[in-house]
Amino acid sequence: MNVKRVIANLVVHLKQFSREKSTIFFVLAFPILLMLLFGFIFSDVGSSVGTLYIQDLDGGAYSQGLVGAFNGTGVFDVTMVDTNISPDQYYADNNIDILLVIPAGYSDSIYMKLLDPASPEANLTILYDQSNTNTQTKISIVGSVIDGMNKELSGSVNYIGVDLQGQQSDEFKFIDFFAPGIIAMSVMSSSLFGTVGMNTELRQKGILRKLATTPLTRAEWLLSNILYQMFMSLLSTVCILAVGMGMFGLRPHINIYMFVFILLCVFSFAGIGMLITRFVKEAESAQAAANAVMFPMMFLSGTFFQLEMMPDFLQTLARFLPLYYVNEGLRAAMISLDYSIILESALVIGTFGTVVFMLGVMLTSWKEN
Amino acid sequence: MADDVISVKDLVKVYDDVRAVDGITFAVEKGEVFAFLGPNGAGKTTTVEIIETIRDATSGEVSILGMDVKKNRTEILKRIGVLPQEFSSFDRLTVEETLKYYAALFCTDCDINKLIDLVNLEEHRKKLYINLSGGLKQRVGIAVSLVNDPEIIFLDEPTTGLDPRARHDVWEVIKGLKKEGKTIFLTTHYMEEAEVLADYIAIISKGKIIAYGTTTELIDKHFKTVKVTIKGGTEGVGSLAEKMGMPTQGRDNGNITIEASGNEQIVEFLNALKANNISYLSMDIRKPNLEELFLVLTGEALIDKRVTQ
Repeated sequence: MNVKRVIANLVVHLKQFSREKSTIFFVLAFPILLMLLFGFIFSDVGSSVGTLYIQDLDGGAYSQGLVGAFNGTGVFDVTMVDTNISPDQYYADNNIDILLVIPAGYSDSIYMKLLDPASPEANLTILYDQSNTNTQTKISIVGSVIDGMNKELSGSVNYIGVDLQGQQSDEFKFIDFFAPGIIAMSVMSSSLFGTVGMNTELRQKGILRKLATTPLTRAEWLLSNILYQMFMSLLSTVCILAVGMGMFGLRPHINIYMFVFILLCVFSFAGIGMLITRFVKEAESAQAAANAVMFPMMFLSGTFFQLEMMPDFLQTLARFLPLYYVNEGLRAAMISLDYSIILESALVIGTFGTVVFMLGVMLTSWKEN
Repeated sequence: MADDVISVKDLVKVYDDVRAVDGITFAVEKGEVFAFLGPNGAGKTTTVEIIETIRDATSGEVSILGMDVKKNRTEILKRIGVLPQEFSSFDRLTVEETLKYYAALFCTDCDINKLIDLVNLEEHRKKLYINLSGGLKQRVGIAVSLVNDPEIIFLDEPTTGLDPRARHDVWEVIKGLKKEGKTIFLTTHYMEEAEVLADYIAIISKGKIIAYGTTTELIDKHFKTVKVTIKGGTEGVGSLAEKMGMPTQGRDNGNITIEASGNEQIVEFLNALKANNISYLSMDIRKPNLEELFLVLTGEALIDKRVTQ
């Protein structure tokens, strides 16, 4: 193993990549587009835009004035909540994104404040979904309405305080479920198609034949390819995370387990790619074979929707697909931190990746028959 | 022989049921340009790839620089340079980067500038490979085959698919290598290429070597006659020649080709023409070429003219 040769190869792959605009598009733009598309489709599930839920436990003159002020903005469609239900309960049960609670004694507090500026503020409570960008907009509008009320009452002293209570829902939002799936899928497709495409193209052009007449060894060549695929996979992962975090409030755990699963995914699918090109020499057939491997896996391993939605026999089938374990593992690593799932998935995909990659290395030959 | 850098003995390669290489034996001496001449599918590339260690033989012995190709692959590869058939390289590397990459694979500090100079690519060194013409690509390929300063250079059909101008440019590069004393193993299906470049020629057909020697040796051995072509001759040229016992062929457009046994017979014939008051526009005397030799030996043309060129 000669490090200089491995690096020389890696540099060639990176130069080829950075100078080919269509590859850049497919490797980076495709996963980003998927994220944007599905992010927008599902980010507002369960939250009706423009609705402000208010629970008025006070019922006094000032609380009615406040509700009137919110109604008067024209931005909000104000819905009053039954005062007999606890606000937390209502928030959790009704899948809403913002609930303003006017506590009992709110009007009295304002009277007191008017009489004696040193007395405590009248406090409002807002329960909201802190991961939803749409809710953030609502909060700022609520804030400006309250500011307006404050100015009207005094001019300088705050009569009304706000207690913001961000809610972390137990149910994962769709984006939490979706982002690790998209990462797994793009790592799979870039490793699989990257390996298949590179091998068939270089073989067809006769570059592999030329390389066979140099001291470059098979192991050095495969290692540099794997390093290149890892680089590409990390690049698309960074893009997906940037979109998810920047636009859809994704807050994943970024840890060593995440990288382990990405690495194992590269090994597994680069290995499958090597095996495909070992047996299917013609470029178009090899692409078709790679598609035949990828598509069922994309839809059956829980990339786009939860497996529980599928019939039992398909759920059983999914457990035989390597991508299922990458999906499960990445979700556990990035979202739920369920260590038993992390361990189990890592063992399965690790074993699979090792076997496939070793087979790929053993069966790939420089020599022609 | 002590000076043999390549020695091939009873080499056989069988693909499924086809004997692509059918028991061939030959040797190449140090410093010579050896041409392997034959039509497409004759077994040239199979043979050369077995010598280059990238293909396994079915049987036979091949040694290169005194080493067995089956046992010393790594060592052999360090000391030979290869331009494979239909050479191609990474599209989006420049000429310079391509040479540096291959030099890095050999881990040698080769003088890239000297190589670029040798194949005359100075003005193209910053261009991407994909933007080069066919002839320039081949010259990059030849430069790449030289990065490890090899003792033997294998050029597998270096000018196939090139236009005549580009072909001559590549020939100039190969002549330059020859001057430097490199041993060159050339495979080609162009007779002219072998005639221009080679010291020694082996003609291969259907997996067998059917003739072996220098161009002159081959022609002299197989053709005892000289060809005389009379252009624009008046009536009676053909019948006169036949009367004198010389076979004639190709009577078209007023041209006629006559086979003479040697210079004496030509002089005799010219005198007879004069005596019979037969005039002609021009006359051309030549030995048969490799193309005709191939036709004589195999009964088939070296190049299928309907397909190539």
